[in-house]
Amino acid sequence: MHPIFTKRERFLLYITAWLMIAGLLCVLFAAMSALTWTEAVALLFPMSLVYALMSLAALYVCRAFPLQHTLLYKLVPSLMLAAVLTSSLWAVMGKAIAVVLTRALDFVELDQRYDGAVPLLLAVGTLLFLLSIVVHYLLMTFDAARAAERRALELQVLARDAELKALRSQIQPHFLFNSLNSISALTATDPAGARAMTVRLAEFLRTTLTVGQQQLIPLKEEFRLAEFYLSIEQVRFASRLSFSAALEKECENVLVPSLLLQPIVENAVNHGIAYLVGGGTIRLEARRNGHAVVIQVSNPCDSDRPRSTSTGVGLANVRNRLERLYGNDARMVVENRAKDFSIALTVPMQIGS
Amino acid sequence: MSSVKLKAVVVDDEPLARQIVQEYLGRHQDIEVVAECANGFEVVKAVTELEPDMLFLDIQMPKLNGFEVLELIDRDVAVVFTTAHDEFAVKAFEVHAIDYLLKPFSQERFDEAVERARRTRPSARRKSLDELANDVRRSALPLDRVLIRDGAKVHIIPAATIDYIEAQDDYVSIKAEGRTYLKQATLSSLENQLDASKFIRIHRSYILNIERLAKIEAYAKDSRVVILKDGTRLRVSRAGYRKLIAFL
Repeated sequence: MHPIFTKRERFLLYITAWLMIAGLLCVLFAAMSALTWTEAVALLFPMSLVYALMSLAALYVCRAFPLQHTLLYKLVPSLMLAAVLTSSLWAVMGKAIAVVLTRALDFVELDQRYDGAVPLLLAVGTLLFLLSIVVHYLLMTFDAARAAERRALELQVLARDAELKALRSQIQPHFLFNSLNSISALTATDPAGARAMTVRLAEFLRTTLTVGQQQLIPLKEEFRLAEFYLSIEQVRFASRLSFSAALEKECENVLVPSLLLQPIVENAVNHGIAYLVGGGTIRLEARRNGHAVVIQVSNPCDSDRPRSTSTGVGLANVRNRLERLYGNDARMVVENRAKDFSIALTVPMQIGS
Repeated sequence: MSSVKLKAVVVDDEPLARQIVQEYLGRHQDIEVVAECANGFEVVKAVTELEPDMLFLDIQMPKLNGFEVLELIDRDVAVVFTTAHDEFAVKAFEVHAIDYLLKPFSQERFDEAVERARRTRPSARRKSLDELANDVRRSALPLDRVLIRDGAKVHIIPAATIDYIEAQDDYVSIKAEGRTYLKQATLSSLENQLDASKFIRIHRSYILNIERLAKIEAYAKDSRVVILKDGTRLRVSRAGYRKLIAFL
């Protein structure tokens, strides 16, 4: 159904416009043709109503020839043809109305004088139909813009939502409570250490919150954040946890999704180092490989570690994010061997300004 | 007041977390810390050798977690669990009215837990700890590793390495990677805990890891044996044979 019928106000507005057009047509034909005023009113008001309905067909013409996808040399003749055909049809229907008026009412030879007015009718009809086409094009563009705007808003809301969810899952409550417990222990024996830890923790949280609002950040920032996190965990695990980071110079400014490494590094601590009596070293590495960057996080783990411990959620999030952002251009490879675990992410080499 | 001090063992894989328990225990002159442990193996050893009265037990640790430790020690010891954030554990503790400390905790809260541990009768304590251990074990089924205590030593046997298990009076003997381990358990309880798609009770006295099966042979009229890949022969009961056939 034509959208004009879906809203009452639109329909009333349309009918009002056509009544005005009918009035104008009466003035025009009374002046420019052999019709008298009464004849013009009797003939043109019904004809205008008929044409009001016929002009709605412009919608289908507009849909058939979308402005963005139709070449001008095809568009103009097609629209002209549609206008001429419609107005011709209208002229024929006008003749029928004139004949009816002549027979039923006492108009004298109206049907014959009508023929003299046909050229003018055709011209006016063509113009009116073209006008209808223009209005339809405008309305379609307007509707499309509104829909696009709404979609953009919806997407924004979705993205914000995902971000918050990601943030929540990226910082584990475990980490916070354990860090607070370390601080609690240090206050008695090493107040300066307690303070240093508090400051570090606050800074990590602050950076995480700021960075979480950005979609992409330079890899060196991402590395810095991961090292921040590990240095906090180092207070807890003492000599059991060590880490190294090797970032190739040319990869430093490559843009990566913010907090992408956080779940991976957390996993390395909680499912790797935490189960090792003697601890071990977590290695962060990033190197260029053609048009991509390979980021690798590896850690030793205990061959006796329980298999059932869930490492799933955080790592699944990483995979989802990569897929959403890069589609097939990114990869995540997990190697889970008895005594070591590693994750390699391959992302496109996208450099920030 | 007796002049004999209560013996306590403090268990946590984080030095700072142990330090805080030590500090809080400073107020309790009648409790003496006889050992600090950083992993599950050490706890089993310490409890076996030192027979403490009280155990401050972390849940997440290397080698064995707090619940697995509970399964392996003679549990006539007051246990106060400590954990940072573990919804599952907290629920289990509440169900069995066992005291636990959520890190970080205050001295007051700690004192309360110590008092409660002191007051609870050993028999009541033991009962609720047993139930807790059972509950936790059930939630972690099927078993992916079998724990065996051999004096103060603990063996972890991944389920996949087990060839078969044989019933022997009050014990079961577990054959894995060429070795035999004895565990105080019934064959039925292990049958219920192991993955039923891999382990089959083929006889009153045997559970078989189906992956070790080489062939089935007739042994006498109405009686059969299975031959394992390493040549071991095990008898199969009629019910066991039906289960095997249904499985294969």
